[in-house]
Amino acid sequence: MATGQSAFADHWRNLQFHFDTRLHLRLESLIVLLILLIAMSVLSPYFLSVSNFLNILLATSTIGILAIGATLILSSNGLDLSVGSVLGFSGVAGAFLVGILGWPWPFAILGALAAGAFAGAINGFLITRTRIPAFIVTLGMLGIARGFALILAPNGGAIYGLSPEIVFLGQGRPLGIPTPVIILVMTAIIAHYMLAYSRFGRHTLALGDNEAAARATGIAVERHRWILYTLSGFTAGLAGLVFMARVNAGDPTAGLNYELTAITAAIIGGTSLFGGKGSILGTMVGALIMGVLQNGLNLLAVPSFWQQVAIGMVLILAVYIDQLQTSKEKKA
Amino acid sequence: MKLFKTLLVASSLLALGASAQAQDKPVYGVLMKTLANPFWGAMEQGVKAGADAAGVEYYLQAVESDQAAEPQLNTCNTMLERKPTVMITAAINSNILLPCLKRANEMNIPVVDLDNNLDPAVTKEAGVNITFHIGSDNMAAGAQGAEYLVGKVGKDAKGPVLVIEGLSGNITGKKRADGFANKLKELAPGLEVVASLPGDWDRGKAANITNDILTKHPDLVAIFAANDGMALGAVETVFAASKGEQVTIIGVDGNSDAVKSIKEGRLTASVAQLPYLVGKQAVENVKKVVEGGKVDEVLFVPTLVLTKQVIEDGKEPMLEFVK
Repeated sequence: MATGQSAFADHWRNLQFHFDTRLHLRLESLIVLLILLIAMSVLSPYFLSVSNFLNILLATSTIGILAIGATLILSSNGLDLSVGSVLGFSGVAGAFLVGILGWPWPFAILGALAAGAFAGAINGFLITRTRIPAFIVTLGMLGIARGFALILAPNGGAIYGLSPEIVFLGQGRPLGIPTPVIILVMTAIIAHYMLAYSRFGRHTLALGDNEAAARATGIAVERHRWILYTLSGFTAGLAGLVFMARVNAGDPTAGLNYELTAITAAIIGGTSLFGGKGSILGTMVGALIMGVLQNGLNLLAVPSFWQQVAIGMVLILAVYIDQLQTSKEKKA
Repeated sequence: MKLFKTLLVASSLLALGASAQAQDKPVYGVLMKTLANPFWGAMEQGVKAGADAAGVEYYLQAVESDQAAEPQLNTCNTMLERKPTVMITAAINSNILLPCLKRANEMNIPVVDLDNNLDPAVTKEAGVNITFHIGSDNMAAGAQGAEYLVGKVGKDAKGPVLVIEGLSGNITGKKRADGFANKLKELAPGLEVVASLPGDWDRGKAANITNDILTKHPDLVAIFAANDGMALGAVETVFAASKGEQVTIIGVDGNSDAVKSIKEGRLTASVAQLPYLVGKQAVENVKKVVEGGKVDEVLFVPTLVLTKQVIEDGKEPMLEFVK
């Protein structure tokens, strides 16, 4: 019996190792997701269908894109609290160019992405040049970007009615798959490759693990951080573009409090809040765990107040599992 | 050990909802903004009362705050998976739910606009078909405020009046302010609206506006504010200037703070919306539609002027709907 158990444990550790090294994915979070999927399928007869799964992916798309940026930032031991506001600002900026100034529709895309990257670049500049803590700089940007979003929108209301090409980015379904889901998957694949397999990713994780050591090995720490914050702003701009296209409007209140949800998704997926550890694939699993939970609880008609309780509990549970893992590694 | 713990969590989740089963009975889907607000809480009670009386099941969802626009869209999409007989929705803004409501149309699920949050012009342009809109008539609520004021001070009264609007650009506040100003002009031309300013639904801002206008017009006769919060801000300024006897202050909503202030003899009146009645009548009319009947495209639920006398007498039959 004892040998049987240890054989099982060996298999388990082996599997964990493979997932970790090959896919950069924590096996536990994948199992939590699978259990949730099975539980919801049993509990609700409406859960297990292609259209509902597409719903879940669609509902996860904006948060998922933001969480990709959050993963990059957290892995480098940084913090970006401004992404929710930058999302709102980018969407309004894009809608402003075409809806108010009457420019051709591609400018909505370029404008939103540029606005996001610009806000991120300012964050990066201030953090690396002035030595003001990232927490403060991005908290400031949270207010500034939201303010500008409201200033650009007439009377603080939404800029409604964009061109069909833009709306397609949010509401279209090429091959039956919602466009935001395609954008999310493509962004995730690129970012996963970057973080897990490229030199840029190795430097990011090294920076998060030990900044002094990273500097000693010749990594241009300031420049690297600056690029990371710009990327975080860029993903916020992309999320803003998707949001704008989904609702066919540049809404200045879009993305309120999304920064915390994005960080939560990354952490549930196994990214460390203190740098040095992060995986895009893990973050996608984390975002899906939240998406599935939310969707399932909605289908089960669980009151919204209890849903918030449940999501908070999953966050704590996920980090607890992570802690167990880490303490075991230390003992070994 | 870890696996054991995860399994434990999973099994408790399974036990939690073992009662869930597919329903074949007709179920009305109700999507609200948030329940963390007494107004929507009262409307939920009205929906429940209406559903109980009509003998129908309903499936109610809300999001965490009245700013959570995208989560509301996601929830709306999810609700459609349960294929409700009808979708009764209180949209957070006039465009967020349109993709979902369009899908509901495609699934032949009738859509009802609860509390007039959708703009018919926008829904038509987006190709969304709304079976009916139901809610308070904001124009009429403002007019009721003017009628009450003229009834109190007389149609020959003269003097300056201040109007505090809602958030600039917000249609609800604008309609209430316009309804008041137009009716006042018609009933008592001697009462002149000397200023009509946006208070942004903000109590403090309304207090400041009142202060400024009182300085300019010390003989101010009345203040109409587009909601109770702003009216209560005006009350503070007026009483601080010891002009409580002179100035009649009227708000809109009939919320519990306003009722308390009216009972204390500070706020003069509030044109109360009756969210309980809105919820109840929404379900009743939906039932009519589902059974093949016809209803008007826009349905108005009455509003009620609350004053100290009305509250203390307790004779007004509609008082039972003030929650």
